[in-house]
Formats: sequence, C-alpha cells, structure tokens
Amino acid sequence: MKTSRVLRILLSLVSVVVLAACAPGGAAAGGGSGEPKQGGGITFLIDSLGDTWIPNNSAISSFQGHIWGHVTDKLVYVDENGKASPWIAESWEQNAEATQFTLHLKKGVTFSDGTPLDAAAVLANLDIWAKGDPARGINPIGLFPKTYDHAEAVDAATVKVFFKAPTLGFIPTLGYHGSILISPKTIALPAAKQADLANDIGSGPFVVASWKEGDSVVLKKRADYDWGPAALNHQGPAYLDTITYKLVAEPSLRTAAVQSGQADVAYNPSPQELASFKEQGFTTATPRYLGFVNGFAVNTKVAPFDDLKVRQALQHGIDRAQLISTVYTPDWLPAKSFIQSNVPGATDHSGDFAFDAAEANRLLDEAGWTKGPDGVRAKDGKPLTLTLYPNPYLATSRSVDELVAQQLGTLGFKVNLQAFDVVTYGQRVKVAGPNVPAFEVTRSFIDAGTVAGVLTDANKGENWFGLGQSDQKLVQLATGVAGADNVGARDKTLDELQGYVLQQGYFVPLTQIVQRIYLQSPKLRGVTYNGIAYANYSTAWVG
Amino acid sequence: MNRNYAVYALKRILQAIVVILLVYVFTFVVISVLPGDPVTNTLRNPESGFSEAEITRIATYYGLDRPVYVQLGESLSRFVTGDLGLSLRSGLPVSRMIGEVLPSTLVLASSALVLALVLALAIGFGTQYLPRRYGQGLLRTLPSLFSSVPTFVIGLVLINVFAFQLGLFRVIDADGGPATFFAALALSVPVAARIAEVLVASLDHEARQEYVSLARSRGLGQARLLLRHLLKPSSLPVVSVVAVTVGELLGSTVITEMIFGRVGVGTLLRQSATTQDLPALQAIVTLAAVVFVVVNLLSDLVYPLLDPRVKLVSRREKAEVAA
Repeated sequence: MKTSRVLRILLSLVSVVVLAACAPGGAAAGGGSGEPKQGGGITFLIDSLGDTWIPNNSAISSFQGHIWGHVTDKLVYVDENGKASPWIAESWEQNAEATQFTLHLKKGVTFSDGTPLDAAAVLANLDIWAKGDPARGINPIGLFPKTYDHAEAVDAATVKVFFKAPTLGFIPTLGYHGSILISPKTIALPAAKQADLANDIGSGPFVVASWKEGDSVVLKKRADYDWGPAALNHQGPAYLDTITYKLVAEPSLRTAAVQSGQADVAYNPSPQELASFKEQGFTTATPRYLGFVNGFAVNTKVAPFDDLKVRQALQHGIDRAQLISTVYTPDWLPAKSFIQSNVPGATDHSGDFAFDAAEANRLLDEAGWTKGPDGVRAKDGKPLTLTLYPNPYLATSRSVDELVAQQLGTLGFKVNLQAFDVVTYGQRVKVAGPNVPAFEVTRSFIDAGTVAGVLTDANKGENWFGLGQSDQKLVQLATGVAGADNVGARDKTLDELQGYVLQQGYFVPLTQIVQRIYLQSPKLRGVTYNGIAYANYSTAWVG
Repeated sequence: MNRNYAVYALKRILQAIVVILLVYVFTFVVISVLPGDPVTNTLRNPESGFSEAEITRIATYYGLDRPVYVQLGESLSRFVTGDLGLSLRSGLPVSRMIGEVLPSTLVLASSALVLALVLALAIGFGTQYLPRRYGQGLLRTLPSLFSSVPTFVIGLVLINVFAFQLGLFRVIDADGGPATFFAALALSVPVAARIAEVLVASLDHEARQEYVSLARSRGLGQARLLLRHLLKPSSLPVVSVVAVTVGELLGSTVITEMIFGRVGVGTLLRQSATTQDLPALQAIVTLAAVVFVVVNLLSDLVYPLLDPRVKLVSRREKAEVAA
C-alpha cells in the first residue's frame, strides 16, 4: 500500500517536470552596442565537412569552402556584385590583348608556418591550380582558365602571368573559391600528407587548432594577421578567438541547437522556416551569389527539343512567380536572364521567357502536337514526354521540379521525374547526355567569361545544348565573349548572347539561386559575405 | 575430453579465419561491380567545371580502370601484411581513420550492452519477483514493446525531451557523459528486449522444475531463490543470444550515431558506402566480420565449459556410440 502511494507521487512529480519543460523557447532580445568586442568563440553547425582536405581537390566544396576561406587568403577579393578589389595582390595591369597580366603583391605577408607569401609562392600556387598533379592524386582547379601558359617572378613582389589567348576573366578568377593560396611547403607534400588538414598551411586570419575527421574543425585566430581585403572595413587580426565548425547532419537539429542557444550559426536551414526564425528575433542571411541561375539546359539532340517551337513553348509555359511563392520565400529573386542578376554584364531579358500559357499552347499546336483525350499532346502517335532529373546538389530541386511538372502537365506535357542520389546522378545524368532532355543547372562562377565555355564544343567547351558548332550565330557570340579584350565590348556581346540563348529556348531559367542560407544568433554581429555567398567571420564579433 | 576440446577449438579458429578472408573478397567484388568511385564523383561536382574528357583523363591516373582481379590481388596482398591502404575519398590512411573513430563506438556499444543487460535483468527479476497485481503482466509485455519501437524514434524522443526541453545534455557535445548515456540508452532498448525475452522464458522454465518447488516448500524466499538457484541455469541461452545481438548492436550504431551526432565506425561506414570508398569499406566490413566471428567463437568455446551436460565427442567416438 505504502509503495504504491510513493509510486503515484513520484509519477505525478515527473509528469509535472516534463510538462513544465515543454514550453517553447525563444531568442533573448539582441542587445549590445555597435562597437566590436575582442574575444569569444562561435560554433557553426554544418551539414557536411566534405570528403578530402587535399586543398586542390576540396577548395570548391560548398562546405569546406567555409574553412578554407578563414585559413587561407586569395590574391583578389570579389564582392557580391562581382567587383574585384585588392587583397594579396595590391594592384595589377594587363596588356591590351588581355594575354599578359602583371600582379603586384603586398609586402610582409607570411604563411602561418613563417614562409613568406612572395612571388615564388604565388608562382607555385598558380602552377598547381592550372595543372594540378594528377600523377600524385592532386586535381587541377576546374574553372581556372585553360588558356594558362606559364607565370614568371619578375622580383620578390611582382608576378607576370602569360596566357595563350585573351583571358579577360583571369583577375576575377583569382577571387574564386578554388584559388586559395597555400604554402609551397604544403604543395610539395605527398597527397596522403595534404589530406591531413593540420598540414595545410595558409596565410589567413585563422589557423587550424585541431580537427576530427567527419566531426569538427576548430580554428583559432592568428594574432599577427594584418592583410585582410581592402573592401572590408577591417584588415587586422580577427576579433573572435575561435571558430568551431561542427558537423550535424540533421537540419532540424542544427536549427534547434541555435534556437536553444547551444550554437551560434546553423547552415542550410529549410527555406520555409526562415520567416518563423525572423519572428523569433534570429538573424537569417540569404546572400547573393554569382553564377548561373537555376534552370534547364535543353538538349537539342533529344526529340522533340530539336524543334524551336517546342523549346519556346517550354520557355513560356513555366510560371516562375508561382515557383517562388510556393517552394521558396520572398528572399529568392525571380530570374531575369540565365545568369544571376548581380553578375557584371547580366542584363534584364525577362521578356524573352515571360509566362504566357496561351502562347505556349499556340506554339505547341503550330508544331503539330495535338491534345489527346487524356490531356497529353501527341504527334505521329508519340506522346510529348519530358524527363526531369532533380539535381541532388540543390536541396529544393525536387520540390521545384514537381511544381514545374504540374505546370507543364496543364499544357499537355507528360513529365517524368527521376531522382537519384549524388553518386548515381554523377554516373547517369550528364549534361547533353542521350537520355537527358533537360539538365538542371546549378553552378557558380566569378566571371561571366565562363559562360562562353559551356555553349558550344569549340575549344573543348562543355556543349550544354548538344549543338556542337551547328548554330553559327551562337558560335560567333560565344567566341566574341571568350576572346574579348575589354569589358565594354564583352558586355555588349554578352547582352546579345543572353537574348539569343533565351529566345532560342536553349536555356530555360527557373529562379535565381540562393546557394547558402545561414541562421544566426543575434549575439553575432559584423558578419560579411563575399561574392560566392561565403560568410566571413574575420570581421565579426560576439556581444 | 581435453584432446577433443583442443581439436574442436582449432577447427573453429580456422573456420573463423576463412570466413574473414571470404568477407574481404566478397566486399571487394560487390563494390567493384557498381559503377562509380570517390575520385570521379568529386570530379563530377558541377562546381568544378570539368568536362567529361578531363574527368576521364584525371581519373586514369588513379589506376581505377585496371582489371578487377589485378586490383583484388594487390589489395589482398596488402591486407595480409596488415596494410589497409589509403582511403579513396579522403586520401588518409584507412588505419588512421578507423583508429580515430573506434574508441567512440567501443564506448557506445559497451555501455549499450551493459545497460541492456541491466534492463533485461531488471525485467527478468521483476517477472519472477513482482506479484501479479503489481505489474508483472505489464513487465511481461515490455520485451515485445521494446522490440517494436525503432531505435531512431527512441533516440529522437530522448533528444527532444532531455536535450532541448530539459537541457540535460548538449546535442553538439555528443561525446560527453550525459549524451553518451542517452545514446547508449536508445541503442540498448531493442537489445534488452531480445535478451529479456530469452531470460524470462528460461526463468519460467526453470521455475517449473521440481527442485524449485522443493526449495520453496522448505521456506526459501523468492529473492534468494532467484539469485542462488534460478539465475545460473537460465543464463546459458542468454550467452548465445548476447553473441548474436552483438552483431545487431554494431548495425544499430550506424543509426544511433547519426541521430546523436557521434562520429564512430557507423558514421565512417555510412560515408564510405555512399561514396563507394572501397578500401575503407573493406576494412570496416572486415572489422565487423572479425567482431562477429570472435564473439561467436568465444561463445562456442565457453559454452561447453559452462554447461557440464554438454560433452564434446570426436568422430571416432560418435561412430562407436552409433555402432
């Protein structure tokens, strides 16, 4: 009798405690003055820490790029408008044909192991970026100009770089996330040693204090750092003492940890949750990003997309405003071209792909596709089908494609969705592949000159639309962009190129991309973002 | 008896070694059949901007296009000398990667096993000790209840209640004491169920024996009866069950580690499997096979020693008995 009474009291006490603890939490009001405070550390929760830490092989990773951005510097800083400004390279000149560039380096810069960051070090880096060393297991940097010939050290603070053809995009590429400056001692190490992050020495505002594979990376500040980018308001040593990057794979756990004060930044929360975070007083950031918009590269080798009218029907048949209001939030901008609107040289061509269901239907009728009783259009007995492959590198790709499938369904398309994981996708879904009528693009670039390399197969181009060199006008425009030796001429050609590609229905834009989303504690202030949407904590403080 | 035992032990050990080698070769063959590898997967990342031609050119340097049997031969000859090779995904030596993650998994698995035994014993004790109206019936349903709730559900509920609501541990401090305890708890529940089922059944069986009624008639209390007389004979089937559940424990650590954010062998296995990192995958699968084989081997070797009724006979003796 006595034991059961004790049990009952205990049970009620426990349930009271549990119920009381179930009250929802919220953010404390953000306070503090605008003055930077020294000291403190932050915890950044990230969904992955990539695969390998060999610098060349991992620099472009969307996740590891955060760590490289703090441990290393670049020659040039590119802001979110694509404007290049001095960093380790204080100034630069080019010749009239844009085939020779001279870089003047800042003096007194050192790597954290004491090696000077001088012309010899820059030379070693340029060579490894351009060529890699595949025999040793070190890949070249993918988007580095392929017209690279060689570089020379004129003196300890001057480097001259030579190209085989005009390469207007060279300077911005030096601010690209693959172009990280690494100590020549590290570059000389075998791949197995470079794979150990502790051996990868840079000149950045932080150094690696410790790291655990697949778990965390702890950075601590470098007290003698004094050469931050000129474009930022702070070039000296960081205010923060440490940054801890911790891998938490579950998005809901990342955001819950920040909301309950256990961490400071959560990477890649779900877009739908952003509004409620803002209401609770947290900071959300969806920084602009330079590159292609999210959209489809249409394969003209796959019927019926060899027919201009069908491509144009696709172009005008998608309601992009509905995509943004359904899948995304107002933080996502509608596409105006096939490149993001903050890329220098991007112009507004929204008229070329405006949503017009009546026009799309008319084009399909004219092309001979008649609607059957089940609503699907057919011609010569064959239905109008389209297979879409959601891109696993973009988390929202699947939802977007489902909505697009619905919209196209009302026009009479029969749309199939085939979703694969990253590995299978890489194997089976290749741009302009024989079974891929529309390849979903999500790719960043620093300089619009990159665009020329994907439109045709001239100069080992990627030939996104399967045209080879059959479209003479396209080849002419692409060559004009690639071979331009001044920005004014290039911008003119680029404008014409954007209009042409969109009118021909080669590229079907969906929305502008927000590649990186950050949920941040209100205590963290002064964070800046670069041209490829990476957060920079060398200017940040907690207070 | 001793000679028979020695022969039996030797045969079992040799079988164990053959199994481990077979597992190694089998993993190699199965993964090699699948298209893709970590090297080309990294190169295919759209951010890299490599064309198909470039990817093929770079990939040939890694020697992944050589015939399968050549690669297998090389891999096997390294394995028998103890060299586990370099991970294709991270470039680090596989032995270093496993060495870094193993302690976390060992801690988790052994705590889970201990907790499971404690839970199972508590349930077993309870079913024999508690009178009917104080919940013996409820206790008897617990094993099947525990088996049916998935580990990840238990894990998520524990995290939500104890980490976020009550703040007893931090999700991002996954290796700390409290976090490890809750992770081990989530992992131990299905294992406890399995052990408890067998334990309760054996205890019931033993409780119906005549010597038990005799002991009771002589005034022996329930608690002493349990501890001194019932527990030992009932624990023999439990030993076999524990040997089997160790394997299940290893498998469940993959999910538990993912939920609780721990980095252990399970995490490494998942990453290696999804990226087709052959050297790391082989090493982990072989490690799992070694654990399985060793535990079963120990159980087989210990069983005849524990139970005096089990006698090992050689083939000659068996023939004599039959004749």
